[in-house]
Amino acid sequence: MSRPQKIAAVVMTVLTGIAIYGFFAFRYPYHLHFQEQYQLFEWTGAYFAQVAGVPGGLADWLGRCLTQFFYYAPLGAALTALLLCGVQLLTWAVSARRSLMLYALSFLPALLLAAFCCDENALLGPVVAVALSLGAAALCRRVVPQKGRRLLELLLVPVLYLACGPVCLLFVLVSVCQEFAGGEGKPWLFAAGMLAVAAACPLVASRLFPYPLHRLVEGVHYYRFHNILPGMLYAAVLAALLVVAVSCLKVRKPLRSLVPAVILYVVLLAAGTFLTLRTADPVKEEWMRYDFMVRMQMWNRIMTAADRRNPDNPKTVSCLNLALARTGRLPDSQFTYFQNGPEGLLPTYEGDFTNPVSTGEIYWHLGMVNTAQRYAFEAQEAIPDFQKSARFYRRLAETNLVNGDTTVAMKYLNVLQHTTFYRAWARETAALVSEGTLFEKRPELARARTLRLREHDFLFSETEMDSMLGLLNVEHPENTMAVDYLMAWCLLRKDLNRFAECLPMVTASPLPQAYQEALLLLWFFTHDGYDGLPASIAPGNVQRLNRFLADVDAGKSRAAMEAVYGKTYWFYYVYRYQNRPE
Amino acid sequence: MKRILCFVTVMSMLAACSPRARQATPAGKLPDIWPDYVGVTVPETVAPLDFTLPDADALDVLLTAPDGTTLRSGGRTATRFSEKSWRALLQRSAGDSLTVTVFGRFGGAWQRFEPFRIHVSKDAIDYGLTFRLIEPGYQIYSHMGVYERELASYRQRALLENTQFDGCVNCHASRRDDPGSWTLHIRGSHGATLLRLDGEIKAYDTKTDSTLGFCVYPYWHPSGRYIAYSTNNTRQGFHMQADKLIEVFDLDSDIQVYDIARNKLITTPQVKQPDIWETFPVFSADGRTLYFTAAAKVEIPGELPQSRYNLMKVDFDPETGTIGTDVELLVDAASQGRSLCFPRPSYDGKYLLYTLCDYGTFPIWHHEADLWLLDLETGETRPLDEVNSDDTESFHNWSSNSRWVVFSSRRDDGLFTRLYIAHIDENGRAGKPFLLPQRDPWHYYDDLFRSYNVPEFVTGPVPFESIRAQQAINASERVSFDYR
Repeated sequence: MSRPQKIAAVVMTVLTGIAIYGFFAFRYPYHLHFQEQYQLFEWTGAYFAQVAGVPGGLADWLGRCLTQFFYYAPLGAALTALLLCGVQLLTWAVSARRSLMLYALSFLPALLLAAFCCDENALLGPVVAVALSLGAAALCRRVVPQKGRRLLELLLVPVLYLACGPVCLLFVLVSVCQEFAGGEGKPWLFAAGMLAVAAACPLVASRLFPYPLHRLVEGVHYYRFHNILPGMLYAAVLAALLVVAVSCLKVRKPLRSLVPAVILYVVLLAAGTFLTLRTADPVKEEWMRYDFMVRMQMWNRIMTAADRRNPDNPKTVSCLNLALARTGRLPDSQFTYFQNGPEGLLPTYEGDFTNPVSTGEIYWHLGMVNTAQRYAFEAQEAIPDFQKSARFYRRLAETNLVNGDTTVAMKYLNVLQHTTFYRAWARETAALVSEGTLFEKRPELARARTLRLREHDFLFSETEMDSMLGLLNVEHPENTMAVDYLMAWCLLRKDLNRFAECLPMVTASPLPQAYQEALLLLWFFTHDGYDGLPASIAPGNVQRLNRFLADVDAGKSRAAMEAVYGKTYWFYYVYRYQNRPE
Repeated sequence: MKRILCFVTVMSMLAACSPRARQATPAGKLPDIWPDYVGVTVPETVAPLDFTLPDADALDVLLTAPDGTTLRSGGRTATRFSEKSWRALLQRSAGDSLTVTVFGRFGGAWQRFEPFRIHVSKDAIDYGLTFRLIEPGYQIYSHMGVYERELASYRQRALLENTQFDGCVNCHASRRDDPGSWTLHIRGSHGATLLRLDGEIKAYDTKTDSTLGFCVYPYWHPSGRYIAYSTNNTRQGFHMQADKLIEVFDLDSDIQVYDIARNKLITTPQVKQPDIWETFPVFSADGRTLYFTAAAKVEIPGELPQSRYNLMKVDFDPETGTIGTDVELLVDAASQGRSLCFPRPSYDGKYLLYTLCDYGTFPIWHHEADLWLLDLETGETRPLDEVNSDDTESFHNWSSNSRWVVFSSRRDDGLFTRLYIAHIDENGRAGKPFLLPQRDPWHYYDDLFRSYNVPEFVTGPVPFESIRAQQAINASERVSFDYR
């Protein structure tokens, strides 16, 4: 390539890197945190042996090693950008011909992999596997004696299968393409040999590793769900192969001009951006963002985010309600935000790896330590690819410490001490345990230990949530958060009678606005007039309720009602949570 | 005399051979080693009992056989006895004891602890163990499998893991520790009961229209023709209080016997009474009695602490495959406010080992659960204090010669179940149990986040063809049971 073409090539790669970095660092950073929290990368030989000891294991280990840095999203974004740019450069490196058009085309696999990385269940291991396969092909290309090269390539197939899994087929086909492009000595025989070795690898592996054949053919650990074939990954592999195949074609009159190549690059970048944005899920990203803020206890940031855009996903709303409760604003501000049933307060347990995560945080802050422990344990057990989670290990260490199960807690702490980003916390915590000053130095743990139930034992029941929340307050009257949740639970379920029964537990004065509205509504349902109305209800609320009822009778539209009464409990009672179970 | 000789030998060796020993100051107490192998009884053919001295900077250990033969090992963290020398030493000590002298270095100074003994029984132990490894979790399971461990070495291999199919590897059982006859239950989307018999693996659908559900807890008839199963409608509950976590209980349970030859499930109204929960069926050593546990039904979850199981027995005719009609109460645990689980008769017909806890049918989550021994000849029953600890003792099984028991215990940390093996002599007295040995046990068990579950002895390597089993599980074909 000419010098301007080389400069253009560098600009293209840098631009792509910046675009990928920008996307993951600024538009999709919580996705990276999400990925990080579903693994537990340990710097130990045993962990390496465990991960690398299956087909595709080395790439998987490298992918997990990189993923641990997603703990800091900008660092994760930078590593992702570097890896994907590496894939592009390696695609270019294995191309048989050198032209700017081909250089532009070499972005195709990397851009498809960028889209693949937007899938929250896509793992980084296969991207590393693609890079390793291409890298191996690029290195083999440098071996000059043909016989030696072919022998090396044949020997590398099983090695790469072990290291990268079935993505090593990319190495096989690229090598074959290159041999055909070289056109020397019986490439068909070589191709047949390479393909035969490649086909034998999973067959042999099925006798050696505890996986069914189809998993050894599709990739043991490319995607969090093993029964889903990651189409985008295989599209990227095919694209890489396509680029190499195109590069092997003999072109009579290669284009020398910059413009067509730049146009091709822009088109590919635009298509890649479109695909990436289509694969990215803003709803999930929003929940991941809220979950991250809950994990980091960024209560004010949660409310600021909710003020900017009112969340409407129950899981996200439950994070917002937790932030409101932790800052003491739940009774007053709950209905100033979107609410649609108790699912947005205490989501129903679902046995998967995402739902119990932030819900477990709620129980932890409420003082339901055993339930928080169960949710953390279950979420971890439910991780479909059988990985462990550093986040959950930390929570399990905390719950066991709070419950006095120090030996068990130390097991979790010992493992965390082999990680990069949890090591300091684990070491410090273990030291505090040894010193006997844990609960003095860790007020959050002391709080949980104080708030947990000691006198009343019963089996957790989602249908008796009100009883459980009530008992938390009965045993520990300082646990006002439990009362806030209890009242919110009754209000969101529109259970006004239970709300009234529990109202004596509320010590706040004056009574929070939503409670006054609910009490007034109950009064309206059960009395003929407002004589004898409790003094805790401000008189102005009576007039407002009358106006609200008159507007309802007048048949005003929901939108009009929302504009005026959207932040009242009355509006919630009449217009929201319509499909509640009777 | 022999002991005096041994003592003299040990002392003279300490004085003559080890500069450390000469410099060491007497600690005046037994060493606080982990695992606690002080005074345990082991068979001749067990892997070296490596151990560590947790607070020491280094340790040095001298083993001495009654004939004066010695073996030395030490290091910074744990002993690492040569397997070959260990084996030779045990053979020389059979019927007697090994003397173990431990030196520990603390802050640069060596201390010599009081010597202790490891008793070496002449009673042979089986080839190995099979067990399940699973996280001690709640409802959801992650990576798990059934594994085989050779007792004379540290070799462990997977027989079946749930990476091979979608589902949970559940209860398994062999016929009187015979590795060739195996049953294994799989839960999940590929649910099946696998039966390996005469070299063939078949996958069964054990649910019939006439029974409660799938066959769950298995026990082979000594003839190998029948397998007794319970069928359970099991649920879980989760405690809110700190010292308890999980409760596993049945909403319903019955007993049935599978006749392999006729491919028929056999039952009788006496073992599937509507107001009684019957579970954990086991055959007597002669195969003519069916033991099981039974409890009067209570309201769940409110009356769960009142659910208490007794030990029952009923006749079984292996010739006709008929369950008798007279159910007899053998141990009335309920009247003492206790609940009896996991009855396991010894294969010599003399004893029956069971777990006793405060209530319920799943003692692994009960810290108070202990092992008890029933003398089937005299009817006397007693807690097996020689092996019990302050924490949970739960599932257990006998070796084929009825001289060893393996049981699961949570004594080490209160959560992760580990396997202990105890010797039972001809009078029913148990020796001090030893933790399943591992090379560098401290790190092995500290790194192990899975619990041992359903341990069983096997008399030889299990010829379980993992790939064939995997194919049988992943295939859709299931053999159905008939019902009689």
